[in-house]
Amino acid sequence: MAEGGEGVKVAEIKDLTRIERIGAHSHIRGLGLDDALEARKVSQGMVGQVNARKAAGVILQMIRDGQIAGRAVLLAGQPGTGKTAIAMGMAKALGEETPFAMMAGSEIFSMEMSKTEALTQAFRKAIGVKIKEETEIIEGEVVEIEIDRPATSGAAPKMGKLTLKTTEMETVYDLGQKMIESLDKEKVSAGDVITIDKVSGRITKLGRSFARSRDYDAMGAQTKFVQCPEGELQKRKEVVHVVTLHEIDVINSRTQGFLALFAGDTGEIRPEVREQIDMKVAEWREEGKADIVPGVLFIDEVHMLDIECFSFLNRALENDMAPVLVVATNRGITKIRGTNYKSPHGIPIDLLDRLLIVTTQPYTERELRLILDIRCEEEDVEMTEDAKDLLCKIGHETSLRYSIHLITAAALVAHKRKSAEVEVEDISKVYSMFLDVQRSTQFMVEYQEQFMFNEVPDDDADAMED
Amino acid sequence: MFRKGGKSTSMNHGGRRRVVTEFDDGGEMIEEYDLKTDELLLRKRRGRTVLGKDEEWEYLTGEAPRTFSPDVGILAESSVNPTWQRSQDTPQSFVWRVRNLPYPIETYQVTCDHGDQKIVIRTTNKKFYKRFDVPELKVLKLSLQDDALSYDWKNNTLIVQYKKPREVIKAELEEKVETQQLRLKRAPEDGDVDCKQQ
Repeated sequence: MAEGGEGVKVAEIKDLTRIERIGAHSHIRGLGLDDALEARKVSQGMVGQVNARKAAGVILQMIRDGQIAGRAVLLAGQPGTGKTAIAMGMAKALGEETPFAMMAGSEIFSMEMSKTEALTQAFRKAIGVKIKEETEIIEGEVVEIEIDRPATSGAAPKMGKLTLKTTEMETVYDLGQKMIESLDKEKVSAGDVITIDKVSGRITKLGRSFARSRDYDAMGAQTKFVQCPEGELQKRKEVVHVVTLHEIDVINSRTQGFLALFAGDTGEIRPEVREQIDMKVAEWREEGKADIVPGVLFIDEVHMLDIECFSFLNRALENDMAPVLVVATNRGITKIRGTNYKSPHGIPIDLLDRLLIVTTQPYTERELRLILDIRCEEEDVEMTEDAKDLLCKIGHETSLRYSIHLITAAALVAHKRKSAEVEVEDISKVYSMFLDVQRSTQFMVEYQEQFMFNEVPDDDADAMED
Repeated sequence: MFRKGGKSTSMNHGGRRRVVTEFDDGGEMIEEYDLKTDELLLRKRRGRTVLGKDEEWEYLTGEAPRTFSPDVGILAESSVNPTWQRSQDTPQSFVWRVRNLPYPIETYQVTCDHGDQKIVIRTTNKKFYKRFDVPELKVLKLSLQDDALSYDWKNNTLIVQYKKPREVIKAELEEKVETQQLRLKRAPEDGDVDCKQQ
C-alpha cells in the first residue's frame, strides 16, 4: 500500500477540465465592444487600441450580415501592438458557427502543394455551408458508469462500461479512451439523461431523469428534469451544422477503389472536384437545403507572401464566394517578396487599394500596466504593486513581449525563494538574467570581433567582393 | 430485387461468388453467395450522406464484424448485450435471431406495427426492444401480415420467422436466374487470367 501511494493520489486529483496550455493570446475572449460598437476601455482581455477595435467591430458587423463578399482588411502596426490579438478577438466574437481560418504567410510555401492551391484551400476553409444532415445518436438515461482505473497509473489503459436505458430497453456499452475522458469532463453521473453522437462522440446532457428527482434535497436552480426517453436507444436525428467548403472538398476528393492506396488524403484537390461541389452547393441553396456562412480568413505576417500570391489574391477577392480577408503585417516600406520593387507594407499598390487599412498604435504606459495585470492573472502569478510598476517601466523602455516573458520567469524565481508573491528583487534578478533586444544588440556591437567569422575585418571582405 | 437500378459485377473469391452493385447516387451493395449451394451468405449495403461521406454498412443478411478498440474507438455495444441479426433465410421464410437472451419465452412479445410497417420485439422486463423492417417487403411495396409472423425461444436465442409472401418467392427466383446470368455474361478471360506473383 505504502509504495507509490502518493503518486497515484496526485494523478487522480489532477483536474481534467483545464488542459489547455497558456498561450500568448489565451486571455482574449472577444473584442470588448458594447452593443453600439463602442470600445470599452478594458474588457474581454482587450486593452487600449480603441480605434482599431472599433474598426474591427464594424467589420465584424459586415461579416455577420454576410451580404458583402470579398472585402479585405489590413491590420498594420509595429510589433507587439496587438494585431494578432485583434484578429483573435474577432474570431472569439464571431462564435463557433462562423468559420475562422487562421494562417501565417509563410505556411503556403510547401513542397507538396503549389502556393495557389494552399491559398485556395485556405479560402475554402473560411466559407461555411450550413446544412441539415441525419446522424445516429444514442439517447438514454444513465443507469451506471463503471470505470476501472488500473492501480499502476499511466501504462495500462482505462477500461469502462456505460449502461443506458430507455423506458423499453437497457444496453451496456464498452467505452473508448476518448469517451471515458469526456464523460469525466461533462461530469455525467447515474440518473442523467444524455445523448451521444455516434460519429463524433460528443455528449450532450439533457437533464436529470424524473425518477431521480427525490435523490437530493438540495439542488441547483439550473437542474432540469426530463422524462426517460422512449423506444430504442439508437435513433436517427436531423441536425443542422456548419461544414466548410474545404471539408466537403476533402470528403469528395478521396480516390475511390484501390487507387486510394496511392493517393494521400490531403494534398492537391482537383479543380473538377471543386467545380462539382460548387455546383452542388448552389443547387442546395436554390432548393433551400443549405445556407452559405461566409467567414474570415486571417493571414498573419502577410509580407511573407510573394508577388504571385498577391496577384492571386486580387483575383480571388472578386469571386462572389470569397470570405472576408484579414491580413496583418508589421513592416513599413519594404521590398515585395519575389520582386525588386519597394512598396508600403511589402504589398503591391493594386492590392493595397482594395484593402481597408486599420492601424494599431504603440501602447501607453497606463495600458501596458493593465495588460500586465491581465497577464499576471492569466498566468496565475501574484505580484506586489512595486514589482508591477517596475515591470511596467521595463515594458515601456524595452517591449511589451519582453516584460510579459518576465512574469513567469520572475514567478519561478520567487517560488525558489519560497515566497508566494513576486517582489521587486525577483524582477531585477530576471532582468539581469535575461537580455532584452536592446541590451543584446548593445552587447553585440561591443563584442562583435570576438564572435565567429570576424577574423577578417569587414572592409577587406568588401574589397575582395568588388 | 435489391440490384435494380445499379450496375453489378460478379467475381469468384475464396469459394464465394461476390456480386458488387454500384448505384448512381454513390451507394453500393455487396452480396456473397456460396459457390456450391448458391445460398446467400452476406448482403450489405451503404449509401452516401448528403455531403458525400460513406455511411456505415447496413447488414441485410449475415453478421456485422465486431471491430472496436478502446484506444481509438468511441463506444460500442458490449458483447453481454443481446445481439440481433438477420440470419439465413429458409426457403419458405425470413429468419431473425436474437442471441444472448436468457429470459423465458413468456417474456417476449413479437408484433407487427402496421403504422410504419415494422416488426417490433418487446420484453416485459424492459431489457430488450427492437423495431426493424423487412427490406424485401419494402422493395416490393408489400405490407406486413400478422399471421405470417411467428417466434420461438431456445438455447438463449429468440428466433423470429416471417413467412415469405408469394411475390417475394417469385422475385427471389428471378434474382437467382439473374445472378447466374451475371456469371455467364462475363467473357471467360476477363480478369480471370491467373496472375502469378513475381
